[in-house]
Amino acid sequence: MIELIVHILLLAGLVISACMVWYMDDLISAAIAFGAFSFLLSLEFLMLQAPDVAIAEAGIGAGLTTAIFVIAIRGTDKDGGCV
Amino acid sequence: MKNTFQIGILVVCAAAFLMAGLNLSFGGAPAYTDMDDYMLAHGQEETGSNNIVTGVVFDYRGFDTLGEATVLFTVVLGAGLVFRRLGKKEDEYEYE
Amino acid sequence: MNMSSLVRSGGANIMMPFILVYGFYIVVHGHLTPPGGGFQGGAVIATAVVLLMVAYSRAEVRASVSKNVLKNSETLGLLLFIGTALLALTAGLAFFGNWLLDAGTLFGTPVAFGINPPGDINTGGIIPVLNIAVGIEVLGAMGILLLAMLGGMKGDAE
Repeated sequence: MIELIVHILLLAGLVISACMVWYMDDLISAAIAFGAFSFLLSLEFLMLQAPDVAIAEAGIGAGLTTAIFVIAIRGTDKDGGCV
Repeated sequence: MKNTFQIGILVVCAAAFLMAGLNLSFGGAPAYTDMDDYMLAHGQEETGSNNIVTGVVFDYRGFDTLGEATVLFTVVLGAGLVFRRLGKKEDEYEYE
Repeated sequence: MNMSSLVRSGGANIMMPFILVYGFYIVVHGHLTPPGGGFQGGAVIATAVVLLMVAYSRAEVRASVSKNVLKNSETLGLLLFIGTALLALTAGLAFFGNWLLDAGTLFGTPVAFGINPPGDINTGGIIPVLNIAVGIEVLGAMGILLLAMLGGMKGDAE
């Protein structure tokens, strides 16, 4: 029962954070929302008893991809040129 | 006319994905279990690894891992090629 | 140095050893514990580079993380992977054959079927070697991608 509740909370958080990525106007905010999406996805993988995939998702999705997005956003302006 | 064409393509794609999704097995019981049973029964002795996932990835499926490593190497090669031209304008952190 | 950068660098200095030890634990114990493997461990170690970039300015990152070391570690990882797989041919096995398994030498202790929770790190044949190879390759690849992205930016990231 408690497992089902955690599943439902995690899936609702996944949908909400995915909608936040689409909804945010600021690109940095969208990148951070994508990091939250990856973190919730790794928790869901852990709940589904796949710790290998969970640690890979937490390391690459929540850590490295967010950093690469933030660096790319800070390195360009809104028209796509270099700052 | 164009709109109905697009909606038709969308319906066909949705039906195809739905059929493929309904053919998956839910609830953790795969359809064909011969290979799984063999690996669970013999994997620990044949690969010497307590973690069956690592045993499968690095021993039974070694070629897959070799391909994955090669893909990663190629990705870094491409990224280095792209960012080399960007860094050449100034004496910024040049990637050679 | 203002107050917020002092807080960031101090926090990073405290976090860094734990991240590195956890990453190397995942790589080395890849054949024993479930969240293990070279790919995941390499990604966790590469997160330490992200932490460095968050905490320090670009000149300090440039001074402390060597691009050549990362590049050489990536090449060395791939060569070690292919070389370990090729050495199976000299033992009369197929490519990727487990030529160290049950040999009694390095990583050569036989494993019986069943549940043995702590495990023995001296098992697995070539699997730990391949884990370490993939680990240092992923570490080098991810670190070099991050450094290349950072090099594309102009002006200080501060």
